[in-house]
Amino acid sequence: MHGITAGILSALAGVVYLYVYQEAMYLDFNKVINMGSIAGASIFACMLMALGYALLERRKKSSLKAWLNMAIVLLSFLSILGPLSVTLPLDVESPELFPGLAIPMHFFPAMLFFGLSPFFIKNIHHAQSNN
Amino acid sequence: MKSIQNILIAGSIMVLSGFTVQQSVQWEISNDYSIEFSATKAEGIFKTLKGEVQFDAQDLAASKFNFIIEVNSINTGNGIKNKHAKSDKWFDAEKYPNIEFKSNAFSKTEEAYSVRGKMKMHGIEKEVHIPFTYENNVFAARFSLNRLDYKVGTMEGSSKKVSNEIKLEVSIPVTKN
Repeated sequence: MHGITAGILSALAGVVYLYVYQEAMYLDFNKVINMGSIAGASIFACMLMALGYALLERRKKSSLKAWLNMAIVLLSFLSILGPLSVTLPLDVESPELFPGLAIPMHFFPAMLFFGLSPFFIKNIHHAQSNN
Repeated sequence: MKSIQNILIAGSIMVLSGFTVQQSVQWEISNDYSIEFSATKAEGIFKTLKGEVQFDAQDLAASKFNFIIEVNSINTGNGIKNKHAKSDKWFDAEKYPNIEFKSNAFSKTEEAYSVRGKMKMHGIEKEVHIPFTYENNVFAARFSLNRLDYKVGTMEGSSKKVSNEIKLEVSIPVTKN
């Protein structure tokens, strides 16, 4: 639930940001980025993070979560190389403004996943203590 | 008598000048033109072209091409590459905002036509020959330029990844003026 909830909220944040950024900057990057790709990438990323958390829980290595978090942060930072180096179709205007759209979105999944963690970790511990 | 003579001379000049204008057909550049360039590690387009096209296949001597390409209209599809291309390490768009071509002479070749003229880029002017075709109101040319001839970029550092030879593919549809 942690992964899917964070994924959906991250997708929502991404779509809102896409709309606001394009409206504010008079841009149209719909040819290279759209609601579907944002939702898919956000949910996939958050589900991967949740999988990592679940594996650590299952192997009873919760102490490694800090390292997993660091890895997620590092990967989020490294992923900004993608929007910086991507070559857009030549008929897309203002490619120099594309990183400003895409880079913040690369941090949304981790932000939402970490932000929601206390709710779900609390539930896990609660469920464990009940068992 | 003298006034009649003057009228006749003036009339002759007007008629002759009328023929001269008719001989060089004036064309207007349509908006769907394209200027594409490609090299190793660099490809893109120039989006803004202005110019004057006078062309008559039957009268090449009266034909004329004057083109101006805005350097700032370069688009490689990547913002960082665009910035580099416009910087003083490459085109120096601030100092040299335009690439200019002015024709000197046209000739008919086996396949199509060829134009000789001056290409001015990055403040350096060189004579070039450009073969081109003209079909269905579209001028099309494929040719290469050596960027080092115009001191565009160098062969040092990361610039050397971009080949000297830049291939250009130009398509200019025109309508009769």
